Amino acid sequence: MLELRAIRKTFDDDAGGHWVLADGLDLSVGAGHTVAVLGPSGSGKSTLLKIIAGLERQDAGRVLFDGVDLAGVPPELRRFALMFQDFALFPHLNVLDNVAFGLVEQGLGRFAARAQAQAMLDVFGMQGHARQKVWKLSGGEQQRVALARALITAPRLLLLDEPFSALDAQLRASLRAEFSQRIAASGIAAVLVTHDEAEARAMAQQGFRLSDGRLYRLW
Amino acid sequence: MKRVRVAPSLWLGTLPLLFLLVVMLAPLLRIAAEAFSGTAGATAALVADLWRDDYLRWRILWSFIQAAVTCAAALVLALPVSWVLARFRFPGRALVLRLLMLPFVVPTLVAAMGVLALWGPQGFVSGWFGIDLQDTPWLLLYGNLFFNLCLVVRAGVDALGHVSAARVAAARTLGASPWRVFWRVEWPAILPWLASALCLVFLYCLSGFGLALVLGGQRYATAEVEIYTLVAHELQLAQAGVLALCMALLTGLVALAYAWIEQHLAVPGRSDVIALRRPVSVRHWGAVLGALLVLTVFCAAPLMAIVVRAAGAGAAAWAAVLEGDSLQAIGNTLRFTAAALVLAVLLGVCHALAARRSVVLRAAAFLPFVVSPVAVAFGLLLLYPGWTASLWILVAAYALLAYPFVAQALGAALDNLPQHLAQAARTLGATPWRLFWRVTLPMIMPSLRRGMAFAAATALGEFAVTLFLSRPEWTTLTTLIYERLGRPGAGNRDEALVLAAVLMLLALLAFMLIDRPGARDAGRNRQMAGAPHA
Repeated sequence: MLELRAIRKTFDDDAGGHWVLADGLDLSVGAGHTVAVLGPSGSGKSTLLKIIAGLERQDAGRVLFDGVDLAGVPPELRRFALMFQDFALFPHLNVLDNVAFGLVEQGLGRFAARAQAQAMLDVFGMQGHARQKVWKLSGGEQQRVALARALITAPRLLLLDEPFSALDAQLRASLRAEFSQRIAASGIAAVLVTHDEAEARAMAQQGFRLSDGRLYRLW
Repeated sequence: MKRVRVAPSLWLGTLPLLFLLVVMLAPLLRIAAEAFSGTAGATAALVADLWRDDYLRWRILWSFIQAAVTCAAALVLALPVSWVLARFRFPGRALVLRLLMLPFVVPTLVAAMGVLALWGPQGFVSGWFGIDLQDTPWLLLYGNLFFNLCLVVRAGVDALGHVSAARVAAARTLGASPWRVFWRVEWPAILPWLASALCLVFLYCLSGFGLALVLGGQRYATAEVEIYTLVAHELQLAQAGVLALCMALLTGLVALAYAWIEQHLAVPGRSDVIALRRPVSVRHWGAVLGALLVLTVFCAAPLMAIVVRAAGAGAAAWAAVLEGDSLQAIGNTLRFTAAALVLAVLLGVCHALAARRSVVLRAAAFLPFVVSPVAVAFGLLLLYPGWTASLWILVAAYALLAYPFVAQALGAALDNLPQHLAQAARTLGATPWRLFWRVTLPMIMPSLRRGMAFAAATALGEFAVTLFLSRPEWTTLTTLIYERLGRPGAGNRDEALVLAAVLMLLALLAFMLIDRPGARDAGRNRQMAGAPHA
């Protein structure tokens, strides 16, 4: 279970501005649950995900998982997978090696990692694209590869940062359903950050609005 | 029959193409003709002699070795320095990035003087530590690094600035440590940039002349110096022709590799850049100070040595600057540069406008960067013996070396012009000419100025061509420095140092006058990261 306790994060910009992105923020996400965080651009939603992932450090407060404080635990050891709105696929690797990336980092041999990645691509209906360059895929295909890459390492938590915002409305609707199914099937906790309330309601059991550094329960 | 309509802008390309043909291609072909002027058997014998001759074989091999060693050393030193500059925000960072341009503005001969003032027989380091690097390869390698380290560092900083923050974050969350992220995500992303920068370094070192002439000494001079010696001192034109042709072919191969890398290895760039962070730990500050130390030792120290040496040179050496031949050399340098700059701007503007519609023209703008100035000057001498008394041959050669900077800078600026601005202006009633005057020109002006600044710096410090074509009445600062350097005595050495300081000042002044801070182009152009130096 993920727990955020009294997270505080401020930000000074180059123009001398001072922003409070999180002001004593609390949140809990249980296994198998998806929680959505809504808010306009610049409200600090993405920063919140980065704090959870360990990519940014909070000014105060604690991030716990299964009761263990994650302070000082680097991102690569947290086993939280982060998915980006622009997919963040590695352009120098083909589809198969993108999916296998995390397994190799976990110490699995390249051959075994590729075999597992191929099996994952089969599950995602992408078996014909294994050797393709990632930038030659369509937006929907790239997003499937990104999800396959995230799930193959069996993360403890899935962090989704505006995962469908780069896609058109029709594709967004179909992928939303597909992703909800796959995340539910994997049984892991997920935090979804989005500005699209319909998307949030379709995918998450709980929804919050992030405003002025605080979370307000929506449903 | 339907007539093929040529776009008006393509006609503009005929001027620079004709210029390239007359001033670059024809002279190179003339060298080939000189090399093959005898019977086939005689030519084959010349080529075989070239390789059988221990002395000449060493010259060719050393040309490659020094270029390769410089590339390797530049990569090893530049990689950590670039990473620190690209990832940390520290006081003075912007100034350091701007100073990275300095070696590209400094004339070759000034750099050579700086290296001698530091490491030469009477240099600071020799005086302090008793190290004498004369007649060793290190002087030339250090000189090469002075010019090229900054080029690779700039390429590295640019490349690392294009690494996607999201991809790095994704790799971290997928289990990669910072070190693994560098090797598996950042390194593949910056490799094409570094490879192309290293190709340029290799080309510059291979075709470089001034540094090798002054710092190489008897044993470590390169093939370019040998061509000059064969022509100017031994009058062995046929052998010089064969050697120049061999070097031109080898340079061409490296240039092709460069073009291939540029075209094939680049992957789509990203806009989500990694945010700079402040150094917080002792390790971070150590990295920043280490990077600054490397840049100081390899890039700033020779320039500082010149300034210190020139300041302490004494009144007699400074008074010599006001003497007849020095004043004439300063006047000539400024006059030739101004004439070359006018021609370079004309050619550069035409080339850039025409190159928008032609890939061939775009590639042609790069040719003068990779061709050896020694070969061009030798070819000009052979092809136009009747013009050697005409100043225009010198100005044309200067313009050949300078105008690609204008063409490249302007080409990049034209590529980066947002199309919707032009469309908006047209819908607001601007005619094509008003569109150019009110929208296009103001937007490309900073790039034009930057190209002109590099062109001016190149012309001011030109040495190889001037040495080949120079007549007594055409003495420039570079040839005068070289002449003083060749004379015995501390007085002459001091005069050379003072003249070098004056030349450095002129180059910096010209650069700052044209490329004023605040009027700079925000866009990046990889080719402009470095300037060839002869």
